[in-house]
Amino acid sequence: MKRTNVVAAFTASVVVAAGLTGCSSGGGDGSDGPVTITIMETKQTNIDAIGKEIPGFEAEMAEQGKDIKVELIADVLTDEQFMTKMTQQLIAGQAPDVLDIGENMAISWSSAGYLAPLDDYLNEWDGWSHYYPAVKEAMTRQDGQVYSLPSGAGVLNLFYRKDILTELGVDTTQPETWDDLIARLVEVKEKTGDTPIVIPAGTAWGGGTWGEGFMPLLGGTDTEFYDTETDTWDLESPGWLAVFELYDDLVSNGLMPVEDLQNPNPWEPTKYEKFPEGEIQVAAQGTWGWKFDWGPDGATPIEGLEEKVSTWQFPGLRSGDEPYGWSSTGGGYAISEDSEKKEAAWEFIKYLSTGEPLAEQLVASGAASARDDLDDVAPYSEEPQLLQAGKDLGESVFVVTGDGAAQIGQAVASATELILSGEADGQQAYDAFVKDATDLLGPTLVKE
Amino acid sequence: MTSLVDVPASAQTATRPSAPRRRRGQTLPFVLLLLGPSAVLILVFIVLPAVYGLWLSLTNTQLTGFAARDPKFVGLDNYTYLLTSADFLNSLGQTGTFLLFSAIIGQTVLGMVAAILLSRPWIRGKGFFGAAVLMPMVVPEVVASLTWASVLATSPEGTLNRVTNAFGGEPTAWLQTAPMLAIILVNIWRGLAFAMIMFQAALEDVPAELIEAARVDGARAVQVFRHVTLPLIRGPVFLYLLLTTISTVGVFGLVYFLTRGGPGGQTRIAAIYIYERALQFSQVGIGSAASIILLVIVLVLGAVYVRLAKVEV
Amino acid sequence: MTTLDSRTAAPVLNVRRRRRLRPVDVAQRTIGYVLIVLLALFCLVPFAWVVLSAVDADAGATVQIPAFSFDNFIRFFTASGTPLLLINSLVIAIASTALNLALGIAGGYALSRFAFPGRRLFMFGILLIRVIPAPATIVALYLIMVNLGLANTLHGLIIVQAVSGLPVTLWLMKGTVDAVPVELEEAAWTDGNTRLQAVRRIVLPLIGPGLGAAAMLMFMGSWGDFLTPLVMLQNQDLYPLAIGLFRAFSERNVIDWGLLAASAVIYVLPPAVLYMLVRKHLLKSSLGGALKG
Repeated sequence: MKRTNVVAAFTASVVVAAGLTGCSSGGGDGSDGPVTITIMETKQTNIDAIGKEIPGFEAEMAEQGKDIKVELIADVLTDEQFMTKMTQQLIAGQAPDVLDIGENMAISWSSAGYLAPLDDYLNEWDGWSHYYPAVKEAMTRQDGQVYSLPSGAGVLNLFYRKDILTELGVDTTQPETWDDLIARLVEVKEKTGDTPIVIPAGTAWGGGTWGEGFMPLLGGTDTEFYDTETDTWDLESPGWLAVFELYDDLVSNGLMPVEDLQNPNPWEPTKYEKFPEGEIQVAAQGTWGWKFDWGPDGATPIEGLEEKVSTWQFPGLRSGDEPYGWSSTGGGYAISEDSEKKEAAWEFIKYLSTGEPLAEQLVASGAASARDDLDDVAPYSEEPQLLQAGKDLGESVFVVTGDGAAQIGQAVASATELILSGEADGQQAYDAFVKDATDLLGPTLVKE
Repeated sequence: MTSLVDVPASAQTATRPSAPRRRRGQTLPFVLLLLGPSAVLILVFIVLPAVYGLWLSLTNTQLTGFAARDPKFVGLDNYTYLLTSADFLNSLGQTGTFLLFSAIIGQTVLGMVAAILLSRPWIRGKGFFGAAVLMPMVVPEVVASLTWASVLATSPEGTLNRVTNAFGGEPTAWLQTAPMLAIILVNIWRGLAFAMIMFQAALEDVPAELIEAARVDGARAVQVFRHVTLPLIRGPVFLYLLLTTISTVGVFGLVYFLTRGGPGGQTRIAAIYIYERALQFSQVGIGSAASIILLVIVLVLGAVYVRLAKVEV
Repeated sequence: MTTLDSRTAAPVLNVRRRRRLRPVDVAQRTIGYVLIVLLALFCLVPFAWVVLSAVDADAGATVQIPAFSFDNFIRFFTASGTPLLLINSLVIAIASTALNLALGIAGGYALSRFAFPGRRLFMFGILLIRVIPAPATIVALYLIMVNLGLANTLHGLIIVQAVSGLPVTLWLMKGTVDAVPVELEEAAWTDGNTRLQAVRRIVLPLIGPGLGAAAMLMFMGSWGDFLTPLVMLQNQDLYPLAIGLFRAFSERNVIDWGLLAASAVIYVLPPAVLYMLVRKHLLKSSLGGALKG
């Protein structure tokens, strides 16, 4: 039986080779024959937004004489589930051609070699020159290459229920320091009995604890926690302890919804139930909150959003710190390394990142533009909050990190979990974190 | 298969139970043909993963990050990490608690009670009761968890809350405040049928004359049980303990469905810990080391049971 | 679930007993009935929610009087993704059982009829394999599957499930074939049958109970399997019911309880049906014998 297999394989390869040589009169990458590329989306708003763009893309490609079809794989998943599932698909070589990913994923997967570097494509494209330098820097990974093109950027800060705080008589001006904000939160707690603030923490929130909670707080007070020259994490940097102590302060004052944070999908009872109901008055949130979470088509719409909700910058943590916004970008569209249709995939990504298609996506998910030439493009031009966020982007803080981000995220999640359960105070959590992170990162990634 | 026809008639008539030895030369191809595929498949899909897992546990293999490109051999580092990691030790502790209370105590005791009761000649409706107790075991894991999700529901209409309410209790969020208790209950519920079946078979083997003799001597039921029945069923009891230890240590879906290891990792039993580490955090090296440690624990426990059972026999 | 009045029941059985019932006995029997009833309730009550909610048009997360309707079942069969879950589960379970039985019968026969060197080692070895908890090897197995190109495929999952049930099936089948006297086969040979014909005509009909038991165990094992498909399958189109139910339940906020309960009922039915069909062929002794062995 073995022999027939070998013969079969040989025959098959001869036939295929003949076929290929026959077709090679056109371009060599299959852009002449019909090509179907796959893209995966895991958030409903993105599924809808991409779904809308596909016909326009296919039409434009047809005009250029290219027959490219797009198949949208829609699977609503949390970021954690997506990370697990897609890692498995990437290893097995079964990943979709185009991926829509977050920063953590970009770092983890590009380091492992699962994503295709985009530099060659980008350098040939005039659109790339319109991206803000800060964004370009954020997209560049450790090895100096870019692996994903951001679909949008956002600013992370604190969203608060202006209507409720005003009603309670609590000061709504920008708090300059966390001490100031904590004092106000205690006031709210005394008046309502609620846990007024939610910031991602603990293991149930997964990678978001680091990406949307801890890192913004850390970066605002200490930008030296990652050393780009040696590609190592400086765990002795003073900001770490300061942020753990902040979490400790918030929890020991009873200001955080500790029980909700320890359960699966903690963003649901907190950001999707209590914040709209007004039982949590302050939430760490990014620009997309205006659309994706609480907008009219969002997960849990808040009526009269613009009147009821406003934003504060993160207050300063240690003495001398100024309030700031945290720039959130670093993810975006990527192409899987094993894809055999990279050219076609790139065409689609280009299409999605230009002009009106881009504007429509940004408005749908509530992100600011990472390009400087989009402000006059409708429907983006008609969204004041997003345009404002775009301006804020220029002044917000960002720290580029590298390999090991996922492990740091894990260690931070476990350490903050100790604070949530009351097993550790700030200092103890920090010590546990240092030990855990050192173990997980291994000696090469920790700064001496 | 055509070679079968060629076996000469004389050899056939000479076949007796011991005869296969004479045809040993001819049995080997049969064995290879009939058993070979199974053996190979078992080797590839059961033995090889265990061996590969052992190998992986000695490396720093990851599925993401730079380490994914180039896994290195790290010897026993993963093991030292795990054995000094509060997280892992907690997980082992939780597995132990889970095992002790749900399997070793809960299922065994309740299974024994059910077996005894259903072997009593004066019980009516054996078929019905037997089937009732069997139900939790035969439904798929996921359905078992689903039924308990409703029982443990937080609201006052949740079944367990209604029961405790009848005794004057407050509605409780069971999966929040007593998650370990909840999963222990679920596992007892799930496994007691198996205990009942095994013990029923064992009880049947106890000679009725011995029981009658003890009764005639004036022993009460409890004494009869302790001094006559129990020693005689010791073997099956230990066999059951062994089997339920193995299966309880391997429980994953039942707990994962309900709690996903939470809240705050309070029900992160070993199987869930391994799943999280290896697949969610992509730390295959560490996950494999945890698997090996778990395997060693099961083997040790198994050896202990076999020892204890042999002492009597 | 009616509670029995033990006092009226006890005297009826008096006929068989030599001794008259003493108050102690009555007390014992009362306690006995109370215990067994409590146990039965404990075992059955959790199902109440599933059954009631499956036929409830406005099902919630807790037990309530249903607004009786078969709506949920209809929705299961008409919604876009759900019938596929059932089909996948059926395909996987039937295929893996078939593969498992085919390998098991052949292997069991060989183990029973041929005393080859290493046979005891093999039997003991596969028994030892059963000690390994599945979560301990699942990750390594997954990586091996990736290398074999079997990851995220139905046939890959079928092979894995069939093989993990092999140790039990082989033991069961060996035991069952052992119980068929060799003389019967030999008689068939002297009648001019080939070995294969003898097996088909003599052995196969007689191993019915063992086969039924093995088939039940294998089917139920595959049907209820959660961890293996969770790890092996990433493609939504391949998910079996176990994973589908899990995904539906972990949505948390937007759970359609009625549909979930109906799905659970549908999930429970096929094994029950199979049990009904196979029940006649199952003999307790073959199961018990194999267990004790």
